[in-house]
Amino acid sequence: MILRYGAPVGSIVELYPRLDRCMSQLKTMIGDCEDCGDSLAAGTVVIADSLTGSSGRFARKWHAPAGGAWLAVAWPDIFLPEFTRLLPFAVGLACCRTVRHYQIDARLKWVNDIVVSGKKIGGILCETVLSKQGERFHLLGIGINVNNTRFPKGLQNISVSMAELLPGSIERNQFLGRLLAELTLSLGMLHHDEALFLQRVPDGSTKLSGHVMQWWQQLCDSQGRLVVFGHDVQKKPLYQARVTGFDHTGGVVLTLQNGETVVESSGEIRYLDSDCPAESSR
Amino acid sequence: MSSQEIQFDEILSRYRSDPYEYVDMRAIHTGVVHFLVDEKTEVDAVSGEWKHIPGTALYEINRERNPKKVTSKTNGLVDSIHLELEGKFVEAGEKLLTIRHPLKKKEIIEGILQEVLFLFEAPERARYYFAMDIQSRIEQKGARSVFIQPGDEIITMSLMKRDTPVYYTGDPGIIHSVYFQPGDSVDAGQPLIGVCAEEKLPLVQKVITRVKAEWE
Repeated sequence: MILRYGAPVGSIVELYPRLDRCMSQLKTMIGDCEDCGDSLAAGTVVIADSLTGSSGRFARKWHAPAGGAWLAVAWPDIFLPEFTRLLPFAVGLACCRTVRHYQIDARLKWVNDIVVSGKKIGGILCETVLSKQGERFHLLGIGINVNNTRFPKGLQNISVSMAELLPGSIERNQFLGRLLAELTLSLGMLHHDEALFLQRVPDGSTKLSGHVMQWWQQLCDSQGRLVVFGHDVQKKPLYQARVTGFDHTGGVVLTLQNGETVVESSGEIRYLDSDCPAESSR
Repeated sequence: MSSQEIQFDEILSRYRSDPYEYVDMRAIHTGVVHFLVDEKTEVDAVSGEWKHIPGTALYEINRERNPKKVTSKTNGLVDSIHLELEGKFVEAGEKLLTIRHPLKKKEIIEGILQEVLFLFEAPERARYYFAMDIQSRIEQKGARSVFIQPGDEIITMSLMKRDTPVYYTGDPGIIHSVYFQPGDSVDAGQPLIGVCAEEKLPLVQKVITRVKAEWE
């Protein structure tokens, strides 16, 4: 059942040698489909060998040369709001598990940065867009450093690629195939969690609990860490705290120095107590 | 005097005769309720730099051996309390008590403005910031010179590192009031911006000037 829910992932796969941004290409495709009286197929994937105009959150630069896995997936907005907010966790889980297939000890930093020993190996950008005809899609942008080993100044000490951690280069198409399989599993599991939630709690009053968040927590290394929190933690760090848990909606529970706790549902954390030299780039 | 000014006089005199806001506290879900305050008890609002210090505990509600204390979001005095519900099972949304919150001059101005402006509300509890185009126009010329119309992408909603553009759905006008700081966490239903039709702008300015001048 889980794989049936996730089956649309890769229903259409478009490959490009070079793009400005994969997400922009998906937006164009959504518009083009509507102009023809059609709708973009759920799970459509756009993959590029390299990107020229890629960016992360808050328009941060994202270096995407040949050798990396740069892709975006379109998923129709059919989740309940409670589960839509878990979508970034599901995508992060899929990416982290894919990297771990290669015996790399990749971990998740809340919400969905993929890190290895404090260095960023992959990042995710989720946007929800409204088409001209009023159809809502989630665009799931993914960037993973696979065989690209050169990083620009400013990213050299905070980024790492899989090829740097392994004896040889990685077969990129095989990696992309594994990633799409993991996305099928993660997105399918999120739909399955939602179905179970609706069966068990028709009034919606019981806490959400599902496989996606359980698996995510097993791979997350943020628990117990001393962090600085901010909406845009690079430009405007707000306060220091320790991560003391996660609530049932994925919010991070931060305990301040005076013992009070704050639950944050959005924003970023930067580790202060690790070998992580600086904040990640996406 | 125009009809608009007469209406404003009525609003102002209403605030003069009763400068309080009455905040109803209702059962957040079903359960057995126990009150933790009495009538005329003074209560504190949520406070702290990060809004992390809870307000005065008002009541405890217990559902399936899962007790939950509900605290006050606003300061004031307990105006009325339904003590007949003490120890009883209540439905979600049942009114339990009312807090009388004394309004400050700034809150009165905001209250009056909110009756005049079109309030564009937060669709979900999330962090909000202006769309890049709007933000740069605000930085260049100030919010009150930014004209928006239905369909404009004005705000980005950020929830769990997922960004969603928010499109304006109200009447065309200029952004008169901004009720959030970019990156603030805003509850669903709370106003994000107040939009004023251009022809109403002189009246709105007059409201502010008059309240500032006349209110003690």
